[in-house]
Amino acid sequence: MVSIDSVPGVVLGVALLAVLAGVGVVRRRRAMADGGYPTTDERETETETEKPFGLVRWFTTVDHKDIGILYIVYGLVAALWGGTDAMMLRTELITPGKTIWGTETYNGLFTTHGVTMIFLFALPVFFGIANYFLPILIGADDMSFPRINAIAFWLLPPALVLVRGGLITEIIAKVISPLGLTALTAPLLALKPIDISWTMYTPLSTAVANPQVDLALLGLHLSGIATTMGAINFIVTIFAERSEDVTWATLDIFSWTMLTTSAIALFAFPVLGSALIMLFLDRNFGTAFFALDGGGPMLWQHLFWFWGHPEVYILVLPAFGLVSLILPKFSGRKLFGFKFVVYSTLAIGVLSFGVWAHHMFTTGMDPRVRASFMAVSIAIAIPSAVKVFNWMTTMWSGRIRLTAPMILLVGGIGTFIIGGVTGVFLASIPIDLLLHDTYYVVGHFHFIIMGVIAAAMVAASYYWFPILTRRMYDQRVARVQAVLLIVGVVVTFTPLLILGYLGMPRRYAYYPAEFTLLQQIATAGAYVIGVSVFLWITNMIQSMRTGPLVMNADVWNLKETGQFTREWQWFEERLEERRSFERSESGTAPPGDDD
Amino acid sequence: MERNRVTSAIAGGIAGTAVLTLLLILLEVQTREQIRAFDVIARFVGTPGQTAVGFVLFVLAGVFAWPLLFVALRDYIPRGPDPAAQGTIFAVVLWIAFAIAGRGDLSGAILILYTAYTFFAHLAYGFTLGVVYGHFREGSQVPREYYAGQ
Repeated sequence: MVSIDSVPGVVLGVALLAVLAGVGVVRRRRAMADGGYPTTDERETETETEKPFGLVRWFTTVDHKDIGILYIVYGLVAALWGGTDAMMLRTELITPGKTIWGTETYNGLFTTHGVTMIFLFALPVFFGIANYFLPILIGADDMSFPRINAIAFWLLPPALVLVRGGLITEIIAKVISPLGLTALTAPLLALKPIDISWTMYTPLSTAVANPQVDLALLGLHLSGIATTMGAINFIVTIFAERSEDVTWATLDIFSWTMLTTSAIALFAFPVLGSALIMLFLDRNFGTAFFALDGGGPMLWQHLFWFWGHPEVYILVLPAFGLVSLILPKFSGRKLFGFKFVVYSTLAIGVLSFGVWAHHMFTTGMDPRVRASFMAVSIAIAIPSAVKVFNWMTTMWSGRIRLTAPMILLVGGIGTFIIGGVTGVFLASIPIDLLLHDTYYVVGHFHFIIMGVIAAAMVAASYYWFPILTRRMYDQRVARVQAVLLIVGVVVTFTPLLILGYLGMPRRYAYYPAEFTLLQQIATAGAYVIGVSVFLWITNMIQSMRTGPLVMNADVWNLKETGQFTREWQWFEERLEERRSFERSESGTAPPGDDD
Repeated sequence: MERNRVTSAIAGGIAGTAVLTLLLILLEVQTREQIRAFDVIARFVGTPGQTAVGFVLFVLAGVFAWPLLFVALRDYIPRGPDPAAQGTIFAVVLWIAFAIAGRGDLSGAILILYTAYTFFAHLAYGFTLGVVYGHFREGSQVPREYYAGQ
């Protein structure tokens, strides 16, 4: 009676236990050893030894830097999972008919791709970067509420499990099925991955029977709570925890954008949370918020997009902040028109709440309301354009150094221009009536999300890598990766814009044969993005372990242009502390030690 | 406290095989059982149709055979002395065999995903094998380098 399913389950269980035991042994040994293998040479200076050891440290930490890293790792896991969905989507679209999966799986894929990337990847990564660097940039000891900070993060892993439940439960069911507990496996297998699209429009979302939809709604609600808590924490930290020499006039640009993003999140996410709960009640407790004789399906769209469009700016503003912060460092000049970049950030924050109905131009709403939303939607392009001009003038006649982060930023600005200008077209009602729900829309926002947002994240990872790990990465691989990412984005999403112009609607697994070539080009581009992600991960992991040690904090030669900013000064102090510790321990001075 | 090479290698093998198995189950579920990863394993180890036997052989190979071979061949594998880097190189060779022998009647677009994901899973296996092995073996110290600046 040994079925195939029984073997992996038992073996996996035993193996995982063995790994855990092994980790325990390694941890104990590491605690006693001094030096040795590269990953174990992280001997700790006196200020670093106060934290508990090993896994306990990560589960109990309230240090903003640790929580920042947790956020980033979490966001990375979500990104890889959502990226897997994307690769499968693009593979399915290689041929016009059924390539591998039918419509059901395809619908599930684009739903989970969207939900994972929007809710679980993008904002957590920015919150992670901000958690680590914002307190340092403003001279604070930590976030205002370190414990709330930890809670806000720890709500996210359950959110991921709930949202992606359909697959996780299937894995569990497969592993435990040999034990013969059908009573346990049957409900697990009943949960199918959600396939109602990330917008969760009613009446479809109230009508589908899949119980996984309810779990996903709760998971999304949880992530919304986490975001709100994080947002409050950032706002209070920036207001109350600044060091005395950091005034509103000298606050750095990244903190400005995080402040604005947090403010938008504070107003937008509670609305989403309420809408999700209303949908949950409609599905399970017979309420009629979104029923035809209740609020109607339009109510959902209004509530959803009242969160959904500000969310776009919640995601893009931190990316703008990173561009504005890092770009001057490799241009050898100060950020041009700093004040106007700040004003435009604030303007976007305010205007972002006046554009939501441009997602609903085709629903037959009052033309006068429609016109006003069109006006605001076009107007919001102005502050975005202000930023682009300021970035270009920052680079103008500067001393440009094409390091990996710089390539990503310049490329990201380029893709943002394409994504932004196509957005201005979409904001115009007559054009939107033609292009609504076509691939054009998908191309437009991916040029921004995969263009400037992803590029800024990766650029930040390269720019601050020495601070995060005290090591340097392989810069040649990083430059190749940067170019591949930008090229991949352009190759993937330009065909989508064209497909949209040709009238190809989004969210279909099958399509007419005349679109085949464009779809295949897009898929090839997606694989290029996949390769660049692979290069980034291997470079990061291997450099974290064995990259050359950084001894001089001025990794990017920022001192010569007077841009050796606060986080690098902080890093310099840490390096000095570490160096004197190593001197006292070994009696020999490492290279680069001038004393 | 240094463990002998065989025990360290087997510890690495257990960890690596756990990671590889988990990734393959994930791949199986995520692709809605289009790849049938465990049939691939059975074909790879030469017992097509007998998936359970194939899986047992797969685990034995992943825990004992490959790690021991890895230790034996370490001096000849490039990218030393870091065992994790060597482990990934070693795993690429395993992956080539796995991908070719296990392909079966998979064809068309699914082959792209099959190739890419099994490649990634094998790298994870080799990396884990090397890292765990390296932890137990202090003799394999990587020389420290310092970043010289731009």
